[in-house]
Amino acid sequence: MEAIEKRELSILSEISRISNSATDLRDKLQRIVEVVVHGTGREGASVFLLDRPAKNVTLVAAVGLNQETVGKLSFPMGKGIAGWVAEQKVPLALEDPYSDPRFAYIPDSGIERFKSLVAAPIMDEDICLGVIFVLSLSSWQATSSDLTLVTTTANQISGVIKAAQLIENIQERLSELSTIYAIGMALTSTLDLAQLLSLIAKNSAQSLRAQACTIRLTSQAEMEGRKAFAYYTAGGGPLSEIDAQIGLSVSERVTREKRPLLIRDLGADPGLKAFSDGGACSLIGVPLVFRDQLIGVITVYNRQEDRPFTDNDLQFLTTVASSAAVAVENAGMFERMETLATEARNRAQELAILNDIGTAMSMTLNLDRLLRIILTAATMGGSGLGFNRAILLLINERTNTLQGMMGVGPTSWEEAGRAWSEVQSRHQSLIEWIQTGELFEHRDSALNSLARGLRVSLAEPEGVLAMTAMQKKPYNIVNAAADPLVPRDLRETLKVNAFATVPLIAKDRAIGVILVDNMFNQRPITEGDIRFLTMFAHQSALAIENAIIHTNLETMNRDMRALHEQLVQSEKMAALGAMMAEITHEIRNPLVSIGGFTRRLAKKLQQSEDKKYIDIILSEVSRLEGIIHDNLSYIKEVTPNTAETDVAGLLREILMLYEDELTQRRIRVETDFSPAVPKLQLDNQQIKQAVINILKNAMEAMESGGVLTVKTFVTPEPREVAVEFGDTGPGISLKAMNSVFNPYYTTKPRGTGLGLPITNRIIKAHHGRIELRNKETGGALFTIKLPAP
Amino acid sequence: MKNILVVDDEENIRELYREEFEEMGYGVTTVADGAQALTKMDATKFDLVTLDMRMPDMDGIETLRKMKEKDKTLPVIICTAYEEYKHDFGSWCSDAYVVKSADTALLRDTVKKILG
Repeated sequence: MEAIEKRELSILSEISRISNSATDLRDKLQRIVEVVVHGTGREGASVFLLDRPAKNVTLVAAVGLNQETVGKLSFPMGKGIAGWVAEQKVPLALEDPYSDPRFAYIPDSGIERFKSLVAAPIMDEDICLGVIFVLSLSSWQATSSDLTLVTTTANQISGVIKAAQLIENIQERLSELSTIYAIGMALTSTLDLAQLLSLIAKNSAQSLRAQACTIRLTSQAEMEGRKAFAYYTAGGGPLSEIDAQIGLSVSERVTREKRPLLIRDLGADPGLKAFSDGGACSLIGVPLVFRDQLIGVITVYNRQEDRPFTDNDLQFLTTVASSAAVAVENAGMFERMETLATEARNRAQELAILNDIGTAMSMTLNLDRLLRIILTAATMGGSGLGFNRAILLLINERTNTLQGMMGVGPTSWEEAGRAWSEVQSRHQSLIEWIQTGELFEHRDSALNSLARGLRVSLAEPEGVLAMTAMQKKPYNIVNAAADPLVPRDLRETLKVNAFATVPLIAKDRAIGVILVDNMFNQRPITEGDIRFLTMFAHQSALAIENAIIHTNLETMNRDMRALHEQLVQSEKMAALGAMMAEITHEIRNPLVSIGGFTRRLAKKLQQSEDKKYIDIILSEVSRLEGIIHDNLSYIKEVTPNTAETDVAGLLREILMLYEDELTQRRIRVETDFSPAVPKLQLDNQQIKQAVINILKNAMEAMESGGVLTVKTFVTPEPREVAVEFGDTGPGISLKAMNSVFNPYYTTKPRGTGLGLPITNRIIKAHHGRIELRNKETGGALFTIKLPAP
Repeated sequence: MKNILVVDDEENIRELYREEFEEMGYGVTTVADGAQALTKMDATKFDLVTLDMRMPDMDGIETLRKMKEKDKTLPVIICTAYEEYKHDFGSWCSDAYVVKSADTALLRDTVKKILG
């Protein structure tokens, strides 16, 4: 008895020593069975442990048994001696276990070497943790003290197991805490949302020993456009399709229910059963909540059937999720701030560019130069807007059309490349560029002539150009071929499929349109581009308006000066005219006496030789009278006294008057009067005089006869009635061409030089004009053009 | 025989017209100003007057008006060196407007047309 007690004590003291050692439970149990074998003086011992759901007992430590069966040899509850003891929770001694019906033989386990055994349950209160066996090679009828020893040892082992479990729990908790801490550290390490989501997924999956983890952010407005999904897989590969589907389904459910979800067995879940083949076995979904707002869902997947997720895991993931939510929100906030900052930076840059452009525009009031500056700014990279090509059109109010004024941009890829690299290599600002004057280099570019050919009627606005001006709003044409707003001819002219138009608006009035495209680098035109372009167009419109007003003022000023000079001139002429009238009157009376009496004398001296002297006197008197008449006509103010006149009739009348003289001069007359010529409001007498002067001129040009052609017709644009007088004379020299309408210019020895100037004045008084040129076939061609109704 | 009154301040012109008109077979009376013309009209019945415009004292316009007051039906030919008033007076109250010329053909034609 004493020996037993001593033996017992030595075993127990050894066990408590082992219990305090730092090794793990399996190690401890192995050493304990060795101690038991040694202490009992038997040949074998083993320990089975019951698994958590209390379904099986499994061999975990053994002496005398085949070591390979450790960890593998397992009995269901109630099966075999181990199963029976675990279920019945009572010790058992069998001298001949092989004859016992409860015995279940497992080949190659090594049990067949032993004759007898004693088994006792390892109890923790009422719960069985496992079973200990003591095995004997010789037949052994165990005494009650043997049983007591084994039972006591079992109790001692129970303590060891509990202590080990406690330590394991504490270690696990510690590990979780350190994981959470690590995650917390990781979450504050980055503000990049995508990186952060990946980090959370990775840490969560690793901590829970999960095969995969996904994070989905809900598509709230402020999260839009961000990377709202991240995943991590243990293998490092892509997330399997089926897991992605499961995750989506779980996320939807968590989002809907707004609470964590733990699914231990996917196959048992009615909603997810369909996914149970091939995918995860168990999973957890936890909402990411920030200030009562669900911002996303984190999901972990487990494919190991024997290790489903536990409540503990759920707890852990919930903890992770709460700090992850804060981090995600922070990252989101940071991103929004970044976006705002970027936007502010862009705005500042845009304003700086606009300021530059404004300065550049204020450098000139010359419209042509201003338009070039505007278009250069639109097409210049760096300090400009950076479009490839730009065309400017202005509204012509008189014709109610939109008219292309100028185009700036390269005409080919090669030129584009050259121009851009040149700009880049020089780093010139727009202002420098303007000051160097190289703006005017490509004045005659193909694009410029293309631009100048653009003409769009605003009477019935149809295409995008007219619409831009009439609606006063920009258009961003992305696919010109399919856009009903883009007329075919415009598309074929521009040769691009994407372009944008913005109106030029000054004081609420559309004055034109700017068209831009990216023909060469094909960069899409964004809404941001349109916004900036609109601001730019606004500024441009004001500058153009200023330039136009300035030009108008200049023109007006010039007109005023001219008018003033004209007034002075006409006052001088009036004074001169009055004086001339007096002089001619005083001369005319004596001339009448001289001429009149000479004529009477001539009648009396009919056959005399002196007649030729008389004739000379008469001819000179007649000439003097002619000079007086022409001078008076020229000085006289020409105010037409108009009446409806048939032009052809008037011409026939004049030709009839001169019929004899024309015949005498051997001049043939050919007429061609168009029936389309309408009746005109004319001063008959004045026009007659005007025509006679031209007629006389023509007759004098054809000294030895010829053909006089008189022709009338109507010109369409501008609508005018033309009266053409062609002769077959020598034509008019270039010098004479410029002078025939100047008073007192004459090539004739006896001309007054006032005939054509008088004609010119009369036609001008009728708001018409005279054109003069030499025909290709020789001879001069006078054309009177009068406005037609 | 029909009588023509020639009113002109230039003596040579008066003489020229007298010779021309007498040659045509008319009786001719000449005066140098408007006042004399009006006085002559009281004494003699004329069939036609040729009237100069620019004359001292009473000009042609005033003389014409007064003549017409006396005898609305008396034909008057304005015969002047001014051609620029043709529009203004041509059809106003005279029966013809002839610009003085060394060639008296137009004047003679006009007189013949009126007196037949």
